[in-house]
Order: sequence, then structure tokens, then C-alpha cells
Amino acid sequence: MPPFKRLFVANRGEIAVRIVRACERLGIESVVGVSDADRDTLAARLATSAVCIGPAPAVQSYLKAEAVVAAAVGTGCEAIHPGYGFLSERAAFARLCAQAGLVFVGPSPESIEAMGDKITALKLAEQAGVPRVPGSDHIQDLAAARRAADRIGYPVMLKASAGGGGRGMRLVRSAREIGEALESAAAEAKAAFGDGTLYMERFITRARHIEIQIIGDAHGNVLHLGERDCSTQRRHQKLIEEAPSPAIDGDLRRRLCEAALRLARHANYRSAGTVEFVFDEECREAYFLEMNTRIQVEHPVTEMVTGHDLVAQQIRIAGGEPVSFTQQDVRIDGHAIECRINAEDPRRKFMPCPGQLEIWAPPAGDDVRVDSHCFAGCRIPPFYDSLLAKVIVRGASRAATIDRMVEALAAFKVAGVPTTIPFHLDVLRSDDFRGARVHTRWVDEMAAETRVTATVSA
Amino acid sequence: MELTHDDVKKILEIIDGATHLDQIEVVYGGFHLCVQRGRETESSVRATPPLATAPQSLAPSQAAGPPRRAEPMLGEGEVAVMAPMLGTFYRAPSPGAPSFVEVGQRVRADDTVCLIEVMKLFNSIKAGVDGVVTQILAENAKLVEYNQVLIVISTVA
Repeated sequence: MPPFKRLFVANRGEIAVRIVRACERLGIESVVGVSDADRDTLAARLATSAVCIGPAPAVQSYLKAEAVVAAAVGTGCEAIHPGYGFLSERAAFARLCAQAGLVFVGPSPESIEAMGDKITALKLAEQAGVPRVPGSDHIQDLAAARRAADRIGYPVMLKASAGGGGRGMRLVRSAREIGEALESAAAEAKAAFGDGTLYMERFITRARHIEIQIIGDAHGNVLHLGERDCSTQRRHQKLIEEAPSPAIDGDLRRRLCEAALRLARHANYRSAGTVEFVFDEECREAYFLEMNTRIQVEHPVTEMVTGHDLVAQQIRIAGGEPVSFTQQDVRIDGHAIECRINAEDPRRKFMPCPGQLEIWAPPAGDDVRVDSHCFAGCRIPPFYDSLLAKVIVRGASRAATIDRMVEALAAFKVAGVPTTIPFHLDVLRSDDFRGARVHTRWVDEMAAETRVTATVSA
Repeated sequence: MELTHDDVKKILEIIDGATHLDQIEVVYGGFHLCVQRGRETESSVRATPPLATAPQSLAPSQAAGPPRRAEPMLGEGEVAVMAPMLGTFYRAPSPGAPSFVEVGQRVRADDTVCLIEVMKLFNSIKAGVDGVVTQILAENAKLVEYNQVLIVISTVA
């Protein structure tokens, strides 16, 4: 018996396609809510039906909670899957769904709220015995900021409590810089999130980003599905993710998984979620960063090494079913890597490039998976993010997986818009990536170095 | 970016000065401006219909497709009243009350022709033009999509 008869997909792009396919597998009808610019998208074509919820700008369509809920109710849906981004981590939206009699595919509004506020999340983590980066509580004023920085030790990072995506963040290297950094970070956080509350953390020079995938149900089961390493980032945006992490050993892996489970149990967590850690390579310690209460872009990496369908699990859990496997059933088989292919020009500071795809020939083959909403002739509108496709490959070893990814990307033919494929090939072929020496600021440092070299030789 | 009233005025001035042209169409983003000289000077601004340019090979096998609007054939001087938002379409101010408009009824531009409800919030939809209602295409108390054609009004009848 499918958990629902009909489900509303409140998202676009590749994740909307991914949710529609999960519905197909579960025998659920899908209705995709599209903006006026997305009427002809692959998700709209593959879904049982589609309905236009508003004009192209996301604030008038994908972010308009009332229109999304009205569309779901009006088309006879029982549940809403929010995907990632847009309304996926808004507690008010989850409440609105409940009020309209719709099942929100995700955690409770209370969980979303608690994890959405970074300081509350840090406190929950501390209560669950999950170590955080040495840091402060709310920073009230400059004097408090100076005291906190002296205690933690420079360099420090100022962060927005309501934050995410690198906004409201400032690196402070010395006491001289702290006044100005405090002011500008607070102003940026206030503008971006409507809340200028800041906190402080020790700055980790060489960090790797390690996250644990967890899944919980309404019957008290909480399991982990191992880690993902997302250290290849550009300006805090993940570009390449892999599992397992080449940087941590079995002992640390076990400790992080246990910490993630403690936090999820403490927060009474239901649905798929991700507990993020920063791993300090110099002192070989890992600290809690935040918990994301949605399905993440990089979830296929975990699906490739475990064989479990996380989106289908989310839907079944929302329908009241228990997780369909046990912790003992979770086995990490081989290695998987995901590359995010964006419509951006890596030679022009990764400038997003909307347009029309003339050629679209993604790679295929054993252990090669491509999650995408693109097809030859489709338009990449300027209103949304630039993600074109996620290429995920699996192999027996990390080295074999890197080789397979290089083959897959070299065979990937796209024309019409520039893509980040050449950038990915450069990274995958580099000694630093192969030797697992990439840290979260590696791409930015490389880019700076290349510019310097280019300037010198010019 | 949207065209302002001033932009449209300027475009019209330029066209007015170009005496060798009888007709011009300006497509700018979502706007479509069509101007004809002579006889009955008629200008209209309407939303550009979405483009459908997908290769056949990717079309799904099942009959269900994307939300294609049933685009009514608009006759000479006919104007479509489109849904400015997704919501539930109502022809009358309350159940049992007479409908705002019926086919054949004459309306003025600022007359309310229907309501669209989104989460208990009722939005009055105006005729937008003076004329006679020729078609009512949306069904009472049913969901209408953004930009769906609700009512057709003839400005020449």
C-alpha cells in the first residue's frame, strides 16, 4: 500500500524530478507546482500533473507558502515534499501545511525551528554531549566580543545565528579588526535574515567538512548512514562530495556517527537530516557545526554506497511507516563521488550563465548516475540557481572512483551554456585531490594563486 | 526589468515618428506590444505565451503532460481576463448569490467579474476593459492556475 495517493512537489529542477521518480517507485501520483517559467520542465512532463503556482520570480511562486498550500489542497494532494532550499526549512510553512490538513514530508516544525537557530542548535548539541567548535554564546557588544576573542584566541570567525551560506560571516585575525567586522557582519546578517544576532567561533585554518546522514521515524528509530566529505567548496558552496571520507579513521567515524545519533534522538528527530561537523586536520578533532533538517543536494552519494533510497524513505516515514531497514542493514559498499555541474563559467569567476542547451549528452554506464532536469533544447532561466546536473559515480576504491568520474565527465557533452565540467576535471586530476589534501578553502586559495601567476606572467 | 509607462510612451513616440511603418511589434521580456497605424488604431499589451520547444524523444509516454493552458482563440477585439494568482475561482460573492457576470453581460473596466481565493483571502478580479462578456472559461469553486484565462470580454461587441 502506498503511504499516500497523491503528493505535491513544492520544488523545481533536478530535485523535483528526483521526488517525482520516488513517487513513481512508491505508486504515488505526483503533482508538481511550477512557476510560469517552468511550465515545460522535465519535472512537469514526468509528473502525473502539474499546476502553475505563480510568476517566474521565486518570491511570487516557489517561496509563496499560501499559493503552494492552496495548489496542493486544490489538486487533492495529501502530502507535500519541499525538496531542498525554498520552503524546505521554514517552520511556518510546515505549520501551514498541517493547518491545511497536508502532511509535510520532513521533521516537525519544532525540530526545524530549533535547528534553524544556530545558537539554539549549538545548545542542543552541547546537551547531547556533541562537542562544538570552541566559541561563544550571543555576542552582545564590542566589549563582549573582545573578551570572547581573547578567551578563544585569534583568529576567530563571527557568524550569524540565523545564518547560512556564508552570509553574516567575518574572519577576524586580530583585535584591531574586530570592531569593524562586528558591525559589518551584524548589518549583513540583519539584511539577509532579518536578525543581526552574532556568535563567535575559533577559526580553523585547515578544515574538512564532514557530515553524517541520519534518518528517524515516528516510532523512535534513529539510524545513521555514514558520512559524506564535502571539503571541495568554493566560497562555502559545495562542489564535490564523497563517501566515505578519505580524511578520518574508523574511530573518529564511529564517534561522529554516535554524536549525530545522540543529537537526533535528543531533538526527537523524524525524517532525513544531516549533522555537519568541521574536522580540524591540525589537531585531528571534529566539532559540531549545524544540523540541516532537509534532504540535501548531495544525498545520492550516500544512496550509492548504501543502496538505500532516502527520498522514498522520507515519504514512507511521513506516511507513518517505520524506517524499512535496521542499523545492521546499513553497509558502506565501495566509494562514491558526486560532482555538481553548474551553468557557470569557471574562467569568469564562476559567473552564472543562463541560456538554452543546444547539446545535452550526459554520461551513462555501470555505477554512473546523473540526477538532472535538463534535456537538449531546454532553457536555463535566470531566476533560479545554476545547478544543471549532479554526476555521481561509484567504484571499489577511491582511486578507481576518481578515474571513473574523470571518464564520465570527459564524456559529458554540453553546448549552449558554459559549465563547470572543466573545473571539475582539473580538481579530479590534481595531486591534492587524489592525495586527499583538499580543505574547505583550497579552491579559493588555488583561484587566488592562479590569478597571481596569471598577473605575473602577463 | 519591466517596461514603465514612460518607456511605452517613448516607444510609441518613436513609432509615431516613423511614418514609413504601418505596424510594429515589440517583444521585451514578458511584454508584447503590438501597434497598428491607420483604420482603427489598436494597441494591446499582453503576456507572451510560454515557449514549447522540447524534443519529441523526451516527451513522456503517458498522456498526462505539463500544465498546458487551453488557450482560447481570441476573436477580433476580444480580451482575456487572466488569473493574476493561483487560487479557487468564484463567480459569485457568496454561495447562492447571483454571479458577478453572465455571458452577454456588458461590463465596465473596474467592474468585479470574479473572485480568487487563496487561503481564505478573497481577491476581486476586475474586467480591465469596457465590453461584453463572451465566454466564461473557468469553473466555479475550482482551482485556477496562475495566468489561466478566466473570462473573455469583447471590446467591439
